[in-house]
Amino acid sequence: MGAFFPADSEAPASNYALLNSRNGHPTLEYDAAAEWATNFTGVLPRNYGGGGLTVTVHWMGASATSGDVKWGGSIERDNANNHDLDADAYATEQTATGTANGTSGKVTSTAITFTDGANVDSLAAGDPFRLKLARKAADGADTMTGNAQLIAITVVET
Amino acid sequence: MAVLSSADRAAGCAKYMRDLCAARETIGPALKADLQAAFNALDAFMDANAAAVNNAIPLPARTVLTVPQKARLLEAVIFQRYISGA
Repeated sequence: MGAFFPADSEAPASNYALLNSRNGHPTLEYDAAAEWATNFTGVLPRNYGGGGLTVTVHWMGASATSGDVKWGGSIERDNANNHDLDADAYATEQTATGTANGTSGKVTSTAITFTDGANVDSLAAGDPFRLKLARKAADGADTMTGNAQLIAITVVET
Repeated sequence: MAVLSSADRAAGCAKYMRDLCAARETIGPALKADLQAAFNALDAFMDANAAAVNNAIPLPARTVLTVPQKARLLEAVIFQRYISGA
């Protein structure tokens, strides 16, 4: 379906993940204490068959080699004559938790699943959309110290 | 001065984590709750021993320096002892 990278990020007005780099790899830094988020705009390919989407977050611990990060993803369908884009209209957030790799610098891949229909804001093949990705830093399940560094997001049909 | 409020302790620990990330330091197997507990314990220790720290400063510095200036002096000593050249 597609992929997003740090350079594709669209920062919201406040509490946004920060662009950085690690050994030349662009990263988006998600804080450990405050909930930061960022948005990505895409178009759902015309071969989408209604099977729902799996959004996989590829990330590293900036300083930690243990602990969990809870990710929250939400989708906004931006098709013609639908939402007024002057206000956000994301569907219900879906979450998944991943564990930091025991070796600093190694990547963890955490999959967030979205069933077709309401979960993806009724997104259909060929529709523009936004994906909002947040680290649920205030959630008790989010235990990892320090920033979570996102290097890529992949979106595939489930 | 009493111990920090829960909000201030959380803010202080959050800053500590951000500083570690900025320095690209690796943290061993400790979770956010572990670091917060450590921060809280040191805050409590400082509260319990503030008078002793103050009395360790000889005159005239003890009376000439403001409280924030004494705090920065303590920070400078800790930095030189444990961080500089580490």
